[in-house]
Amino acid sequence: MELIQIKEFAERYLTAYGCHILEKNPDFLQARLSVEADKDLVHRPFYWMYVEKMGLEPNPTILTFVFEPDKAPEGARAEHLAYGTPRFSQMLRSAQKNGRFIRLYEEPRTQFRSAGNSHGYEPWLAVNYKISSICDRKKDEILHLGIHLRTGDIREQFYEELLNRRWTPKLPAHRHTVSHAFTIPEAVGELEYFLQGYIEHQDLSWADSAMERLEQELEQIHSFYPEEWRMSDELHAEKKQRIREAVWQYHPRVEVEVVNAGLFYMNP
Amino acid sequence: MESVPIRMDRRWLNHFITHMEQDNGWTTWDRFQLAVEAAQAEIVPEFDTLQCLKVLHGFSPLPHQVDTARRVLGEMRGRAILADEVGLGKTIEAGLILKEYMIRGLVKKVLILVPSSLVLQWTRELNQKFRIPAMAQKKAWMWDQYDVLVASIDTAKRDPHRTAVLSTHYDMLIVDEAHKLKNRRTKNWQFVNEIQKKYSLLLTATPMQNDLHELYNLVTLLKPGQLGQQNSFSTNYVAGKRKPKNEAQLREEVMRVMIRNRRSDGHVHFTKRNVITVPITLSPEERALYDGVTTFVRDSYRRGEGNLKTLLSLIILQREVCSSRDAAFLTLFKLFKKGAAGQETLSPKVQHLVELLRRVKEQSKVKEAVRLVQEIGEKVILFTEYRATQDLLLRALAEKNIYAVPYRGGFARNKKDWMMELFQKRAQVMVATEAGGEGINLQFCHHIINFDLPWNPMRVEQRIGRVHRFGQENDVTIYNFATENTIEEHILWLLHEKINMFRTVIGDLETILGQIEQQEEMEKSLMRIMLEADDDQEIRRRLSDLGDQFQDAHQEVANTPQQEWLRDGTHPN
Repeated sequence: MELIQIKEFAERYLTAYGCHILEKNPDFLQARLSVEADKDLVHRPFYWMYVEKMGLEPNPTILTFVFEPDKAPEGARAEHLAYGTPRFSQMLRSAQKNGRFIRLYEEPRTQFRSAGNSHGYEPWLAVNYKISSICDRKKDEILHLGIHLRTGDIREQFYEELLNRRWTPKLPAHRHTVSHAFTIPEAVGELEYFLQGYIEHQDLSWADSAMERLEQELEQIHSFYPEEWRMSDELHAEKKQRIREAVWQYHPRVEVEVVNAGLFYMNP
Repeated sequence: MESVPIRMDRRWLNHFITHMEQDNGWTTWDRFQLAVEAAQAEIVPEFDTLQCLKVLHGFSPLPHQVDTARRVLGEMRGRAILADEVGLGKTIEAGLILKEYMIRGLVKKVLILVPSSLVLQWTRELNQKFRIPAMAQKKAWMWDQYDVLVASIDTAKRDPHRTAVLSTHYDMLIVDEAHKLKNRRTKNWQFVNEIQKKYSLLLTATPMQNDLHELYNLVTLLKPGQLGQQNSFSTNYVAGKRKPKNEAQLREEVMRVMIRNRRSDGHVHFTKRNVITVPITLSPEERALYDGVTTFVRDSYRRGEGNLKTLLSLIILQREVCSSRDAAFLTLFKLFKKGAAGQETLSPKVQHLVELLRRVKEQSKVKEAVRLVQEIGEKVILFTEYRATQDLLLRALAEKNIYAVPYRGGFARNKKDWMMELFQKRAQVMVATEAGGEGINLQFCHHIINFDLPWNPMRVEQRIGRVHRFGQENDVTIYNFATENTIEEHILWLLHEKINMFRTVIGDLETILGQIEQQEEMEKSLMRIMLEADDDQEIRRRLSDLGDQFQDAHQEVANTPQQEWLRDGTHPN
C-alpha cells in the first residue's frame, strides 16, 4: 500500500468505526477512538474489563498518526502509521473481523419510485474468496465471485459490479424480494465447484516441484538412517520426526478462505 | 500435477445463515468494502518477491544481505546455515528471512536460541528493525504465551523449559553462535536436534574450526543425509582433520545449505584504522619493581626452581607489573602466602619484591590514560586484562569527574546490557576487561585504548572488532600503551610490526592461528620465549621467528585452494 492509500484507508476506517476526527491536515490525522475501535486498535483488555464491571464512563484513546516519520508535528506525540507497523496491522485485522457479512438492496432507479405496483429484485450471493497456494512458499489471490440465487449464474469480478451501484440496508418501499431457487448452502456448493475447476486449471508447476523436492528429502532421510531393525528407539523417533518435518515443510496444498460474503438484491 | 488437495473453509457458512435467519448482525457497506481492501492489502500475489523490504524501519539492508535472504527463501527453502564472516550482518539476514515468512503467514511460532548475553540484543533488533514482536524468555509460563521468543540456549535445554520447548512445533528455529553445536555428543546438539521445526537457520561465523566433522554435524542438524552417512562422509570427503577430498562435490553439497559472505568480497565498506603507540616511561620506583620481578623470574628459571607452571605464573607477574601495581599486588600476595605456608621462612626475595611494590606511589600509565581520555574528549573504550587495573582506572577517572562505566565477563546479562546503554547514552568511557563474549557492539565509539595487551591475537582482534565493525561510520583510532624496555614493548612489536594486527583486518585469523598453534597456544609460546630467552636480543630474534611463522601460515591459508570454497561460499568458482 502506498502512503496515500494508507492515509485514505485510515481515515475511512476511523469514520466507519464511529471515531471522532479531531484534526486532519496533509501531514497528520488525530482522532478520538470509538469504544469499538479502541478495543481493536489499543490493546488494553484489563481496562475494558474494569470499566465495564464498574459501570464507569469509558475514556477512549486519542491517537495521532503521521504518515511520514519526519513530518511529526512538534510537541504532539504522534505515531508513524505505515504498512507493516503493528497499529496498521491491527487496523487491517479489525476491518476484516468486522466487515464480514452483509445484506443490501440497490436503491431504486427514479422510474420505479412513482410506480404503483411492487417490483422484484434479482437476488445475488457475493463471496470474496482468498485462495492461498502453499508449500514451503506461499502466494495468495482474491477471487470475487457472485452467484445468481435463482438462475445459478456465476460471475467473476462480481465485486466490481457492486461498487458501481448505490445500496441501502432497508428494503425500499414498493419493492419485494422473490424466493430463491438455490438455498445458501447449495449456492456455496456451486461456487466451490467453480473454484475447484478454477484452481485445477491454474499453473500447478509449483506443486509439482514441491512434491519433487519432498520426495528427494524423504529419499535422503531413508538413505541416511540405518535399516529399521538396526535402529534404537531414539533413532527411530528421530527419523519419524524428520519425515514429519519434511512433509510439514513441503506438502503442496491450496487453502481457500472467505474474506466476506453478502446478499445483494439488484435491480433487474 | 493432476490435482492438488484443496481445503475449503466453510466455517463462515453457519454464521452467515444465522444472520439471515435472525435478520441482524449485518455489517455496513463501508465496513464491507474496508474488509475487502484490508484483505487485498495483506495478500502476497507472488512466490518470489521480498515483501519484508517494504516494512523495514529506519535502515536499508545491504545488497549481500538481501541476496542471502532471497537465496535462503528460494533455493534453500528455509533451512540454511548463515556463515558470513563476523560483522557482515547475519542477524539482519535472519531477520529478513523471518519477517518474510511471517508476512506470508508461513511462520507464526518462532524460537530463537542465543547465548544469554545476546538475548536482549536480539529481542531489541527484531522489534525495532523488523517490527517482529519478539519477547525475551524469562519465565517458564512464557513458552505458550508468546509466539516469538528469544531464549538462552543454556536455559532452554534444562527442565522445565526443555519439556515445554520439545512439546512445541516451531515454524521457525533460529540458533545464533551455532558453532556451539559442532559436537553431536553434546547436550546442545542433541537438544536442537530434538526440537520440532519447519524452517531453521543456524548462524555462525566459523562453520568449520578444527575438523570437517564439525561441518558435517551442523549440516546434519538441518538436513540429515545431505552429506551422506557419517561413515561414508569420512570415506568420501575426509582426507585429514581439515583436509577435504572430493572437494568439488563436497563444496556443492555444502553450498546447498550454507551461505558465506566474506569481508573481502567488498560487501561492506570498512572505515580506516589509525594506530598510535603511546610510549610510557616508568618512574624510578616502578622501574625498580619491574626489574626486581624480572631478575626474580630469570634467577628462578636458571636455578631450575619450581616447575614450569609456577615459572609461567611469574611471567604473568611481569605482565601485571606492566599493567599496574594493583594488578601485580594480588599475584605477589599469593606468592607471599605460599611461601609463608610451605616453607619455614618467607623467601627473602619475595619479601624484597613486596618492599619494592610498596614504594610505588605514582602510576605513570594510569596518569597517561586519564590525560589521553581528557585529550580525546569523545567516547573511549579502555581495555585492560586485569580486574585490579580496571578498578584502579575507574577510581582515577572518577577523581577527574570523568563518567566511566565498568564492563566484565562476570556481569549478569542485564547488567551488561545496562552498562552498554549507559556508555552509549551518558558515560564517556567504558573500562572493559572482556572483549570476547559475543554481542558487545560499540560502533558508536571510535577510540580504543589498549591499556595493556592480551597475548592472544584472537582476543586483540575481538577487542578491535567491537568497535571497528559493520555500522561504524568513523575512522577508528587505536591507542596502544607500551611501557618502554619491558616485555610489553616486545609483544606490541610482534603484534603491530611483525603481524600487522592493528592496521588491517586479518581474515581467517582463527585458521592461521590453528596452523601455528598445533603444538602449543601462541600465548604459551610467548610466555616460554620470555622465560627462556637470555636477553632482549634473543627475545626479539625468537619473536621474529614466530612472526615469520605467522606470516607463512597467513600466506598458506590465503593460497590454499582446498580451503578456499569454505571461506568463500558465494562464488562457486
